[in-house]
Amino acid sequence: MICPRCDSDIAGLLVKAPVDNAWEVYKCNTCNFTWRSTESEDITDPSKYDKRFKINPSTIPSMVVIPPIPKLIK
Amino acid sequence: MSYRDLREFLSLLEKENQLVRIKEPLMPEPDLSAIGRAAPNMENGPAVFIEKVKGYKNSVALNIQGSWQNHALMLNLPKDTSIKDQFFALDKLWSDYPVKPVWVKEKNAPIKENKITKGINLFDILSLFRVNKYDGGFFISKGLVVSKEPEARDDFNKENVGIYRIQAKGKDLVGIQALPFHDIAIHLMKAEERNEPLPIAICIGNDPVLNFMASTPIEYVQSEYDFAGALKGAPIELVKSEKNDLDIPARSEIVLEGHILPRVREIEGPFGEFPGSYSGARLQCEVKIHTITHRNNPIFENLYLGMPWTEIDYLMALNTSIPLYRQLKKDFPEVVAVNAMYTHGIGVIVSTKSRFGGYGKAVAMRLLSTPHGMPYSKIVIIVDEFVDPFNLPQVMWALTTRVRPSKDVILIPNAPGMPLDPSSEPAGIHTKLIIDATTPVAPDSGRETELLDVPEKTEFWLDYLKTAIRKEK
Repeated sequence: MICPRCDSDIAGLLVKAPVDNAWEVYKCNTCNFTWRSTESEDITDPSKYDKRFKINPSTIPSMVVIPPIPKLIK
Repeated sequence: MSYRDLREFLSLLEKENQLVRIKEPLMPEPDLSAIGRAAPNMENGPAVFIEKVKGYKNSVALNIQGSWQNHALMLNLPKDTSIKDQFFALDKLWSDYPVKPVWVKEKNAPIKENKITKGINLFDILSLFRVNKYDGGFFISKGLVVSKEPEARDDFNKENVGIYRIQAKGKDLVGIQALPFHDIAIHLMKAEERNEPLPIAICIGNDPVLNFMASTPIEYVQSEYDFAGALKGAPIELVKSEKNDLDIPARSEIVLEGHILPRVREIEGPFGEFPGSYSGARLQCEVKIHTITHRNNPIFENLYLGMPWTEIDYLMALNTSIPLYRQLKKDFPEVVAVNAMYTHGIGVIVSTKSRFGGYGKAVAMRLLSTPHGMPYSKIVIIVDEFVDPFNLPQVMWALTTRVRPSKDVILIPNAPGMPLDPSSEPAGIHTKLIIDATTPVAPDSGRETELLDVPEKTEFWLDYLKTAIRKEK
């Protein structure tokens, strides 16, 4: 399954609706994006996801770290 | 006190015609965020109780604190109490701090009605939904996070209760934002220096006073529970968490217990934030959830936040104003009131009498050196003591008739700023703006001007007209 946000292909089922079989939620294991099967196409379809919010997986390691990780006390 | 928890507050709101119930089943998206946006757009901003969300087991409560009417009812005031009167009522209650909590037995703590320690699935309990369209996932936006300082676990005053954004990332995994200047970041730093997990409890569906105090910038060694007790005029009922000895509200709807994974940062966000724009995606902490306790038929209370005003603005309005007011009043007794309601105090209006020329500017500079004002406040407007800082037309009158731009407008470049403010550049650095809209007093001088008086009997006629309108209704 392709992630709508970062286009990586290691996204998959996270959870099914607890009742009514109403929807499924998927999760991308690259960018942690989650979405529901019943959301609009501009959320669920990788080709229609707003380009302003797309994420290039290569940029993830250099994102800002909050809060900074402190030095270990020896 | 007229209510003890979220359920009793919902009953109070319903009695006061400040609650709308929706019985027909709704989809999580786009209905829930749309309701969260629509309700505070209304003049009386009702709370909304959604009985059934398709696919989920539990009901949802939105906009519980999203109007001045609900805010007044939270403080046990009549719902038509003016903002300025709510400010002074809150200031009076502030003086009752501390009112110590009481610890109840487990059998008297509704939060212990159900316990889950195996097969945890957040979606079984929480009716999660996308708050804003391009959020990176489904967020818990109104959860109280309880944590202790690792080196001072027995110091109740250092136990922190704060609201931080939480992203559901798995069945038992969430992300959390702990900004360096938040109290939880102090606890986290001490744990991470030792490579130890930081135990936390995320409490959802709370007494509104608890949510209010968890959003208030009080001192590190002041207890949010002690303050909440002061506001209620009665102790908060607490109980111990299942693990790690945390103090949690006995009457909350749902509590997620877990620990922040030490020295781990994973991609989180974006999230539509309180300044009305998205924060970027960043590498932030993650929390493993090991235990859930909840009441029978738990209510999932969550918060929509959008371009102001939405519910979040009521959670950082008067409770941002009062601490600043008290800090200013200590050294500048002429200060009458502080309105720090705009975007968590990024914009502040202070009314003060001027003891001597230039006094307004001195008050503004003190505000900018308070613990909260230093990073947050960017635009400070000072008005005369007879101007109501909560009455924006009056403030605009002061700006238009009192400010001499060449003398009364001051810029302070490269000062501390709030990184979530999209205009801070670089993130966390502001130019501060002071506008002194007070009337010049000696040794400063301005043109002679005499204020118009209020006609005699105005109060009488105001009451008369109000009564006449009520009778016509």
